[in-house]
Amino acid sequence: MIELEVRGVYKNFGGLQALNDVSFQVRGPELIGLIGPNGAGKTTLTNVLDGIHKPTGGQVWFNGERIDGFPPYEIARRGIGRTFQVTRAFRRMTVLENLLVPAMAMHPTARQRSFRDKAMEVLRFLTMEHLAKEYARALSGGQQKLLELGRLLMLDPDIIILDEPFAGVHPKLMEIIYEYITTINAQDKAFLIISHDMDTIFTLSQRLLVLDFGTLIADGDPTAVRNDPAVIEAYLGEDEEERKDA
Amino acid sequence: MSDHPVRAHRRITLPLKQARVQRWVGVAVLVTLLLLSPLYLNQSPYQMGVVTGAFFYAILASSWSLLAGVAGQFSFAHMALAGIGAYSAGLLGRDLGTSPLTGIIAGTLAAGFVGLVIGLLCLRLRAAYLALFTIAFSEIVRIILLTEFQYTEGTNGLQLAPLYEGITPLAEYYVTLGLLLVSMAVMYWISSSRFGLFLRAMREDQEAAAAMGVNVVRYKVLIFVVTSLIVGLAGAVFYHQVRIITPNTMEILQMSLIIAMAVIGGMESLLGAAIGAFLSRISLELLREINILGIHIELGAWRYAAFGLLLMFTLRFAQNGLLYPIIDRLFMRRVREETVSARAQTAEVEP
Repeated sequence: MIELEVRGVYKNFGGLQALNDVSFQVRGPELIGLIGPNGAGKTTLTNVLDGIHKPTGGQVWFNGERIDGFPPYEIARRGIGRTFQVTRAFRRMTVLENLLVPAMAMHPTARQRSFRDKAMEVLRFLTMEHLAKEYARALSGGQQKLLELGRLLMLDPDIIILDEPFAGVHPKLMEIIYEYITTINAQDKAFLIISHDMDTIFTLSQRLLVLDFGTLIADGDPTAVRNDPAVIEAYLGEDEEERKDA
Repeated sequence: MSDHPVRAHRRITLPLKQARVQRWVGVAVLVTLLLLSPLYLNQSPYQMGVVTGAFFYAILASSWSLLAGVAGQFSFAHMALAGIGAYSAGLLGRDLGTSPLTGIIAGTLAAGFVGLVIGLLCLRLRAAYLALFTIAFSEIVRIILLTEFQYTEGTNGLQLAPLYEGITPLAEYYVTLGLLLVSMAVMYWISSSRFGLFLRAMREDQEAAAAMGVNVVRYKVLIFVVTSLIVGLAGAVFYHQVRIITPNTMEILQMSLIIAMAVIGGMESLLGAAIGAFLSRISLELLREINILGIHIELGAWRYAAFGLLLMFTLRFAQNGLLYPIIDRLFMRRVREETVSARAQTAEVEP
């Protein structure tokens, strides 16, 4: 049973408070959307979850173990995988080599050869098997996003964090990513998806978290969140003076 | 893909075997030429010394290629580490009367230890910051060796004993060639292993590699230690052959030459960097003085200017180096492609 618990997490960058007392839980293979206006702290939260940032305060627990302060590779090995907002494929490595990196890192004693078949299966699933020998830098932006998803399949984490998986992606590739998420979710993997594509995220998610100015202002069923006045206010905006008064 | 699985299997695996054979034949020819070249060079101890020196530079350039080209750690400390290996061996021999072999082992370990410290100190440094850090480190080492002349003999240079009494230039040639071949084999093994895969991933994006489960701290420190051990060993052995080492060998110009040689050969290719260094070193020696239509010209420092021009040309027009694309086309490309894909493709077509 997957269990992620974020307990009162704060993250400050100098005088800027990027996360303010954020708490939530993920129990089981939930498909959770994480939304919020630009600068709300969504990416900072994912960076805290995967160990790039150490929280200023609060705790992160995963499957009964406190993981905040662990280096990213330890967190990845424990079962939290992520993609990045700006695609970060290993550009001067082939597509197949990109997929071998997480597999080899997760299985230190296994031989490289034993993962090639699995990597090709993953590429087939992502309709990219014909690109196996290409350097990642030769791929389009959308294909590089698929490649990042493929790396996650090789990592085989329990929780998958996707940062803007639909941004700037061709509709056809978007369908593939959508299918990826639903198929993998059906295999008991939890998802935390950041997206500005409201239609997709509301359709896809079973639960929505909404961040605004580093504070979690809503957590619940997408329909309920859609009608939440605090969420509407965060998205439609309010008068700056009113905010200061508040 | 053929309809017949067995036929398809054959079609895929045969070129792989051919390519591997082609590569090994190429390596065998190269090694045989190097093994036999003393038959020609033996007529001139000077020429033998130049080629032996070129082997030393080939080790430095290829190990720098592993560190900077494969792992993305742009360090300027290589010559300083070779110097640390040589000075450690020399000082132990002079002050404690240890044998050259003991000194070489100690010098290698000393360079490895310093590499470990540099690796740990540079964990968070990237690109220009790492380069500046290692330049500063190299200069500190050089200045210490220069000023502490009561221990190091300063600019007079530290005398080192020969590897053994009565060693001939021919034996020194084969010792250095052996060192080059062994270090190349070790570096190739590293770069084609899991370690090498992780190094290249880290070179591309450290955060993304860490997010994929790669312990970037361990591998970053490890590659500094490994390359420091290699250059420390090379430095200790080579300067036992030269019989003297001075702090000038650690000047930034010397390190720049190593980098230029690696870049001209192909920074991301161990073999390209080694061949680049070998040919560059010999060319620099040949260009000391030239005869054109009976006119004798001493080029002196101008040969370095020509070398600089070649480097600029390489950086502008051939960023993969001048030699690497040729090596890649002749021996590597098909092997790499087939090695990566053959297994998976074979699985795809097998019943």
